[in-house]
Amino acid sequence: MSVLRQTRALFSTLATTLSRLHVSHTSVVTTVPAISVFHPLRVGKYTAGIHTSTNLRNLSEFFDDKKNWGEQEVKVGRSWKKDELRIKSNDDLHKLWFVLLKERNMLLTMEHDAKQEYRLFPNPERIDKVEDSMKNLEDVVVERNRAYWMLETGETGERPAGVITDDLGIRRRRQFCQHFIPSWMHHRKKETIHRGAAVCKFQRLMREKNFVTKRRYYRRVRGHVYMLWRRFPNMNVEALQQQYPEVDVRLLRKHKKARGHHLQNEA
Amino acid sequence: MSTRFYPRYHLGNPQLRVFLPNFVMKLIKPPHPQPPNVATFIVSTQMTKFDIQNYLEKIYKVPVASIKTHIHMGEIKRSKVGGYLIKDDDYKIAYITMPKTETFEFPDLYPTEKEEAMEKEMNQIKLLQKDWSKKIQQHKHRPGMPSWFGA
Repeated sequence: MSVLRQTRALFSTLATTLSRLHVSHTSVVTTVPAISVFHPLRVGKYTAGIHTSTNLRNLSEFFDDKKNWGEQEVKVGRSWKKDELRIKSNDDLHKLWFVLLKERNMLLTMEHDAKQEYRLFPNPERIDKVEDSMKNLEDVVVERNRAYWMLETGETGERPAGVITDDLGIRRRRQFCQHFIPSWMHHRKKETIHRGAAVCKFQRLMREKNFVTKRRYYRRVRGHVYMLWRRFPNMNVEALQQQYPEVDVRLLRKHKKARGHHLQNEA
Repeated sequence: MSTRFYPRYHLGNPQLRVFLPNFVMKLIKPPHPQPPNVATFIVSTQMTKFDIQNYLEKIYKVPVASIKTHIHMGEIKRSKVGGYLIKDDDYKIAYITMPKTETFEFPDLYPTEKEEAMEKEMNQIKLLQKDWSKKIQQHKHRPGMPSWFGA
């Protein structure tokens, strides 16, 4: 069917539907019929107001509003905060997600084209705002989901995770995988676990390295406390202990490093 | 329909439903000329043809006849400073063929009228700058002289 015939057909259906609308001057119109915008007498056949191929309008959602094309600055609001999203219903959040998704697609399309054409992409922080909003939305949904699952089943419905010791002896947090067979059927035999001389040496050196960093840290804290005692011999001991819980502050006070040049120390 | 973790599927499991699709699609100008009913997208590398079809039909209401995808490997080049290798990201490019009645042409997003208006403004600013510098020259050798007096 040609474009012209399609347009005529569309208008004919509109005309018939309009004639069926009985809107008298005395009645109160509570809802505005959407068809009123496309009254055939007001709109010509070839204006941009109607597209026979509805595709054009849908793909144009990948582009910004026409008045923003070629602008140096586009003013937008801020991202959605979590507290604002928490008061919304699940349906509202679901709809908002798609609004944000479409906006994100549109902004990325515009950015890509700007890069290709070596042009300025105005206000690139818009993308970050949309991504922040989407992240916050997802966090709120995860919160609700977790609460629901914990109430109903006693466990979160998320992917289980835990701390495991890998082959090098390092403790890591790992998210567990699903398997076709239970763990007792696929569990590795002790002989196949790699624990050769290289791994032993690595574990020894790793432990040494961790110990050295820990020692340096404690020495640093102790040195700082010595300095404090030297400068301020009449400090509040409980407050100081609270601030540096890793060391025994009272013991360090008696050390010669904590002795300062004060009246009570003079001969 | 998301970049998140997908649980394993066994025969008889219920259909997995994703309520918050994570994927992002960019509509681009095709690197090579395409027929009028073809639109070119850069999509997430994890998207399948079924994902792309559902995405466009359900979210954007775009009718899709067929899809062709391939993953384009990012360029590997050497840094001018240091000589180390740099690799650009891989991306998946999708050529979506719509029914013959639908047409799409990638528009020119930078209208010439706005550009000309901008150029005019910049030229005016330049003229003003010239006038100002000339004006300052008058009192170059008379520091502290009020500008009320003429040349």
